[in-house]
Amino acid sequence: MKIGLEVHVALPTKSKLFCSCSMADTDAPNSQICPICLGFPGSKPMLNEAAVSSALGIANALHCAVNNSISFVRKVYFYPDLPKCYQITQMDGAIGSAGHLDIDGKKVRIRRVQIEEDPAQIVREGMLTLLDFNRSGTPLVEIVTEPDITTEEELRSFIANLRSLLYYLGVDINKEIKADLNISLPPKDIRVEVKNVTGIKSLIEATRFEIERQTDAIKNNEGIARETRGYNEKSKLTESLREKETDEEYGYIYEPDLTTFEISGTKFVKATYVGRIASELAEGTDVNPRTIREITMLDRHSLGLIDKFKGKYGLRSIIHGIQRFKKYGSEEHASDAEIEKIIGLVESGAEVTREMVLDILAGKDVKVEYSRLTDGQLDKMIKEFLEKNPKLLEEYKKNSKTINLIINQIAQKNNLHPKDVAKRASALLNSA
Amino acid sequence: MTSYIREFLGMEKPKGYYTELASEIEKKDAEYHAFTTLNRKIIDCSDGSVPFTTKANICVKGIETTAGSKMLKGYLPPFDATVVERMLNDGKFSFLGETNMDEFGFGTFGLNTEVPARNAFDKDYVAGGSSSGAAVATAMLKYHVAISESTGGSIATPAALNGVVGFTPTYGAVSRYGLIDYANSLDKIGVMARSADDARMVFDIIKGKDEYDTTCAVEKINDEGKDKIYIIRELMEKTEPAIKKAFEKMVDGVGKSYEIKEVSMPILAEAIAPYYIIAMAEASTNLAKYTGYKYGLQYGEFNRRYNDFFTEARSNFGIEAKRRIILGTFIRSESVKDKYYTKALAVRRMIIKEMAKLLNDGFMLSPTLPIPTPRVSDAMKLTSVQNYAMDIFTIPPNLGGFPHITFPYDYMDGMPMGAQLITGHANDYALLDFVSEWEKGFQYKYKHNLGSL
Repeated sequence: MKIGLEVHVALPTKSKLFCSCSMADTDAPNSQICPICLGFPGSKPMLNEAAVSSALGIANALHCAVNNSISFVRKVYFYPDLPKCYQITQMDGAIGSAGHLDIDGKKVRIRRVQIEEDPAQIVREGMLTLLDFNRSGTPLVEIVTEPDITTEEELRSFIANLRSLLYYLGVDINKEIKADLNISLPPKDIRVEVKNVTGIKSLIEATRFEIERQTDAIKNNEGIARETRGYNEKSKLTESLREKETDEEYGYIYEPDLTTFEISGTKFVKATYVGRIASELAEGTDVNPRTIREITMLDRHSLGLIDKFKGKYGLRSIIHGIQRFKKYGSEEHASDAEIEKIIGLVESGAEVTREMVLDILAGKDVKVEYSRLTDGQLDKMIKEFLEKNPKLLEEYKKNSKTINLIINQIAQKNNLHPKDVAKRASALLNSA
Repeated sequence: MTSYIREFLGMEKPKGYYTELASEIEKKDAEYHAFTTLNRKIIDCSDGSVPFTTKANICVKGIETTAGSKMLKGYLPPFDATVVERMLNDGKFSFLGETNMDEFGFGTFGLNTEVPARNAFDKDYVAGGSSSGAAVATAMLKYHVAISESTGGSIATPAALNGVVGFTPTYGAVSRYGLIDYANSLDKIGVMARSADDARMVFDIIKGKDEYDTTCAVEKINDEGKDKIYIIRELMEKTEPAIKKAFEKMVDGVGKSYEIKEVSMPILAEAIAPYYIIAMAEASTNLAKYTGYKYGLQYGEFNRRYNDFFTEARSNFGIEAKRRIILGTFIRSESVKDKYYTKALAVRRMIIKEMAKLLNDGFMLSPTLPIPTPRVSDAMKLTSVQNYAMDIFTIPPNLGGFPHITFPYDYMDGMPMGAQLITGHANDYALLDFVSEWEKGFQYKYKHNLGSL
């Protein structure tokens, strides 16, 4: 099975791609428009350099080859949402080409990263077709992959990795992700396209449906048509839009209103590869890199905290502390100093509760007072515990690491410092 | 120095001057059709400024701007073109109106529009195109300058046929923002006037970088005089004898101050094909936006499928526009694109390279048209290909983005004849200097002098 993607991502610029209209969210239709994004006769596009910089960051993060200059083309087709009846996009002069994205030890090749403008939005109300041009001219990046994805798992991993990469570049694709899929199954590898799938969940579902549909068709000896399909979010089915014998004819020509644009001096944000960072951090520790990756993939604050505290506390304590904080606290009201207190508590061996987290975040002093017992009292307590829990003792005999579980349970139940318990427990169990 | 602008600004204008001028124009224009819109508000203008007109494909805020097309009937641009803004901000000029043209600039003689303009010297003859109205207005009004536009000769041809100075600057020297596109990589806004000095004054106002037009990037205009003039053999061979004879007589005179050299550059005789291929390819994309509901023509019948609606609305294009949309779309199609479009771009680069080399060394001079001014009735009989062949002299500099100027050099049977001088990129001032010098020894003639004082 081969899956290829064309992912459309809206770039986080303040203004549109070819004019200075605002990109801010608004409820008022057709309120952020001008002669340029309406394609009025006489208007001309002017390139938004912030969009170029953002797109360059993406091309760089995807290890693309980047030329010194970029150019644009006109893609001509007639549709009411397209003000000029051509879309300004890129082909040979695209900002990036021949890149790749690593997913769990595999490379998914990126054919092209290109900048283009979004058309207007079509709103259907009863018998009416309404047009909202606020969206017209939104800067998009289209990321085109080679058909290198071979399972649903890889698709998920690709999307997750791409999303993380984009997140660290300041591009959030949670809602906006729009993708075209192409899927072909052996033995005939007939390419079926699924157009305009919105959102990550729909993308996975559409893929799953399409794989099942094609698998069944092959099993039942029904032919598979080379066609373009659409995904229906309600029914969760893909539906045939049109069969195609040849590629669509868009009559591309160079966009003569935008000459080649030099990008050799354009600044951009360098990529953060969370997977690589997690592996490096976890090396030589007992922390699973996957845990670090999951915490930090879409959270630059957590990654910053790990970096800040990594010499001062054990990695396990930092991760555990952040997990506690994320579970009970909220980012807006927390300072790094408060989160450090939580990490410190974890490091001291305390079981950090919801109350403790909330107290720390409320600025209260949280100290864990442990009971102090003599060695004799401790030994008695440990022996009684082991008598009541013979299974744990059996377990320990098979796996010496079970001692940690025994220590934690005794310490928590009796408000004892785990280190005190550990000292006596190992003495007792080793001599037994 | 001949400057009608300075002369006018220095004179006392009688009360009601502009009112009378407007009425005179209206009366005359019923015969010549130079204007598509006459700005009657100019009547209120009492500051004594010089009237200027704009070709009907240059946006003027709130003034119906149709580019000579039915598809743009009723289009009121919500903004001024950069050139209009600069003219108005300068303070010496006031807007008189918009001038007639071939639909979207598609024409050599000004006939491809509903009511064609007529030659200012004799209304049985063509005005030339596509900036027909700009040239006729310049030949009719004594004190006036015309902002015009050329893609493949649309300034030079009508200027020559109406006996005025037609100046087409280097591509990228003047902002195209607000120009309704014909072929963006070829379109240049320029000036028509009754003297080179007036053209220079307007050029100095409208030129210069503009953030609204990325391609407007020429930093500095030069003034590099030349001592050689080149005449291209292959183009002269395609010129009618009567024109050739008159032109050679003029060259003999010029030869007293310049070294005249006839050279061979066969590629220039092939420039028409790549020009029309590129122009039509670009034009067919520019004309895609006219679908009959956003601006201009309101087709109205919304209760049908998009494609049917678009098809019906777009039937309102004129015949030449339809021809160029169909040919342009064909040229762009995947199966033949390399054969035509890609090849045309390559030939264009070759032409630019060869011309630039020669122009580095001297000017190029030629007649502006290969034939005497045709009668309207004769021009109507020409096929498209015969029409396109009339652009043989004007296409090379336009294809290469080289500045060029046409100026009257003789009169034949009462009709003016124009010669065209070309120089290298950004050397525009050298052309204006040349023609200023020419004007010292040659008096231009006009049949009309509306607005005389």
